[in-house]
Amino acid sequence: MNQTASSRQESDRLASKGWLKSLLARPEIGPIGVMLLLFGMLGYFSIPAGEFSLNPFAGEGFNALGIRNNLRVIAQLGIIALGAGLLIIAGEFDLSIGSMIGFAGACMAMVLRWGFAIVIPYVSFEGGVHIEFFTLIYIENVSPIGAIMITMCFTLFFGWLQGYIVVRSGLPSFIVTLGGLFFLRGLTEVSLRAFNHRPDQTKGATTVTELPDMKNIINVPGHGEIEREAAKALPEADLQAILQTVPADTVASITERLAYTYQRVADAKTEIMAAKGVKPLERALENAIESGNETMVATIREKIANFTVTPVTPRTVTDLDVVRTYIDSIPSAQPVANFFGGDILEPIFDFLYFPVDWNTNNFGNQFAPGLYSCVMIWLILALLCYVVLSRTQAGNWIYSTGGNLQAAKANGVPTDRVKISLFVFSAFCATIFATCQVFEVNTADAAKGNLKELEAIAAAVIGGIVMTGGFGTVMGIIVGAFIFGIAKEAFFYIPGIDGSFYRVFLGLVIIASALLNENIRKRIMGTL
Amino acid sequence: MADNTAKPLIETTGLVKKFGSFTALNGVDLKVYPGEVHALLGDNGAGKSTLIKILSGVFKPTAGEIRVEGKPVSFTSPRDATEAGIGTVYQDLALNALTSVTRNFFLGREITHFPGPFGVMKMREMDEIATREMAKIGINVADPNQAVGTMSGGQRQTLAIARAIYFGAKVLILDEPTSALGQKQQMEVLKTIRKVQKLGDIAIILITHNEIHARLIADRFTFLSLGEVIGQGASKDLEGDDIKRLMAGGAEIGDLAKELAV
Ligand SMILES: Nc1ncnc2c1ncn2[C@@H]1O[C@H](COP(=O)(O)OP(=O)(O)OP(=O)(O)O)[C@@H](O)[C@H]1O
Ligand SMILES: [Mg+2]
Repeated sequence: MNQTASSRQESDRLASKGWLKSLLARPEIGPIGVMLLLFGMLGYFSIPAGEFSLNPFAGEGFNALGIRNNLRVIAQLGIIALGAGLLIIAGEFDLSIGSMIGFAGACMAMVLRWGFAIVIPYVSFEGGVHIEFFTLIYIENVSPIGAIMITMCFTLFFGWLQGYIVVRSGLPSFIVTLGGLFFLRGLTEVSLRAFNHRPDQTKGATTVTELPDMKNIINVPGHGEIEREAAKALPEADLQAILQTVPADTVASITERLAYTYQRVADAKTEIMAAKGVKPLERALENAIESGNETMVATIREKIANFTVTPVTPRTVTDLDVVRTYIDSIPSAQPVANFFGGDILEPIFDFLYFPVDWNTNNFGNQFAPGLYSCVMIWLILALLCYVVLSRTQAGNWIYSTGGNLQAAKANGVPTDRVKISLFVFSAFCATIFATCQVFEVNTADAAKGNLKELEAIAAAVIGGIVMTGGFGTVMGIIVGAFIFGIAKEAFFYIPGIDGSFYRVFLGLVIIASALLNENIRKRIMGTL
Repeated sequence: MADNTAKPLIETTGLVKKFGSFTALNGVDLKVYPGEVHALLGDNGAGKSTLIKILSGVFKPTAGEIRVEGKPVSFTSPRDATEAGIGTVYQDLALNALTSVTRNFFLGREITHFPGPFGVMKMREMDEIATREMAKIGINVADPNQAVGTMSGGQRQTLAIARAIYFGAKVLILDEPTSALGQKQQMEVLKTIRKVQKLGDIAIILITHNEIHARLIADRFTFLSLGEVIGQGASKDLEGDDIKRLMAGGAEIGDLAKELAV
């Protein structure tokens, strides 16, 4: 107990800090609190009117479709927030992320739609001075992976160039990437207009439409690679022929499942009819009670008690139903397109419908087919970022580059390379975002990704990244994306409130987070 | 201790450094011996930091020669100097206050499971080494995961010194290691320097404006003024007044006293 000054050790001083204080010094603690609050709000406010539950998961925000849609928004933001966040930790900004998304999406869609060519312009003097074009290479049909690679060449180069300019010139990255923001957006619009002048296009449009639904191209026996919807619309005889190729036990399990679906749909219809039929009686009962007519009340009560509707008979499962369902289950023939734009966890969501009966909508059908693939891509990227930032040498270099640039340099850290790599990584994340979007919706639009750079930075700040660099975690960036992505939904369900209040809320959260981050940073720096 | 028959660990001859038309160093000769604390003294702007920046590979000399253990060297980066065994502890210590002791100790030289920047760090091994090396020269870190920002100035100084020694410094350069510290922590740093000196084969170049500190631990002195050496010698050969006079750039203390009295 009574230690003299000389026998006291440094370790004794630190031990008195206490677990609570060290927990509060964790950078993620505040954001996790806000995230839990928003989850609670989303759950409770989305419980359907008239129902009561203490369980937030009973709310519509947490039904299968709600989870599917919310996680998509969160994952998309999460992907670019990783790029933005790591770059901020290294002490730089990227304002060009949004424009990079637009550019990448447009580039990819154009290559998929019209192919890829390298054209060299030159001045010709024959028949008056004018510019001629010499086509060096022209590839008409580019595969999804090809289109992604070509796009990556452009976007990663832009990322590298921005980084190179920043480290070489010493200009603030804010300015350099602000230039990138305008440059890329403009370039995207100009190129889309330039390509949309063909006779079969709307002149001046800044979109690419009518891309084939790549992820839903499947191999159907006897028909080769065709789109799923086209396969389902084949003539009856063709469908019958396809059915012959399906193994018997597959047919049996599909039939069982369809019978279940039709039964659930019929049950749902019966329920809806019953509810509709009983409603006038209930209203009459209320009136009767009000007017005090005892006999009337009794008769209506009896009527309600005896009220029945004849149950709807379910559809019978036909061969055509079976074969169309079978076509739905054929895996994509374009694994790359499906990887970025398709769904994941489909077997689990199927299981949650049949036999679990949770993933079921009000009409008895399956609610959500699965989660968007971008959720998986986000988590893979996040895991990689976590390992790199927290466990590897590169991570220590990133922290020190942002935390004390001179110190990092003096210790031989290649800070320029660290920064340039992270600018490239930011461009990579924007391209991944765009790739998911293009293969999900099969269109591209020059306006895509607008303001995303600010959302990404906001998510990173909310997640505990300090704007001056050197501080923050991947876990924080993930939580930040959750908060930003979920806020809109949570506010949407609050009864009688303007949906735009979520922006007011986010604004406050951003400032509060920044204050909190600064406070934690100062506490670690020992200046508080 | 220092005997002149020993070979100097580091030796400069006729070192010149020009920044444009400004001559920061004008022909500096310096000999530093193993196991010796060599105090580099002089007024503000005398060129002390410039000299050690050349020795640590930050600047390239305009003219002159540097020999490490007798071999002429030419550094193009701080890394070259570190590899040649010259470890520098800068005035700002080159620490990242926001990360842990271990991460700072191994900054730029992390021990990883496989080579390349994406090599996963051997955190436990690094923690152990950092703790052990700092204990060797006098500081027990409570927790190697402690953020450097929460450490005292003296502790930070020790961390920077331990780091330089661990990574093979034969010559340790300390640029005003006590300037930003309180009395007690200044003594801590001096003790640390003593402990390093006792390790035997390490030479220490110490820059300081504090005459008392210099007198306490230096074995040899070099006085710089306006980019030139105005005095050099072993501590036993120097009178107290010599040190005062030479530190102020060669002016007579008596003259100074007169000027101040006016
Ligand atoms: N990079 C540079 N460019 C131009 N001049 C420089 C540069 N670095 C130092 N100088 C000049 O060289 C001279 C010597 O500077 P130096 O930093 O070596 O002094 P010092 O002896 O370390 O002084 P102090 O005791 O104040 O630290 C000063 O006049 C300074 O202005
Ligand atoms: Mg100096």
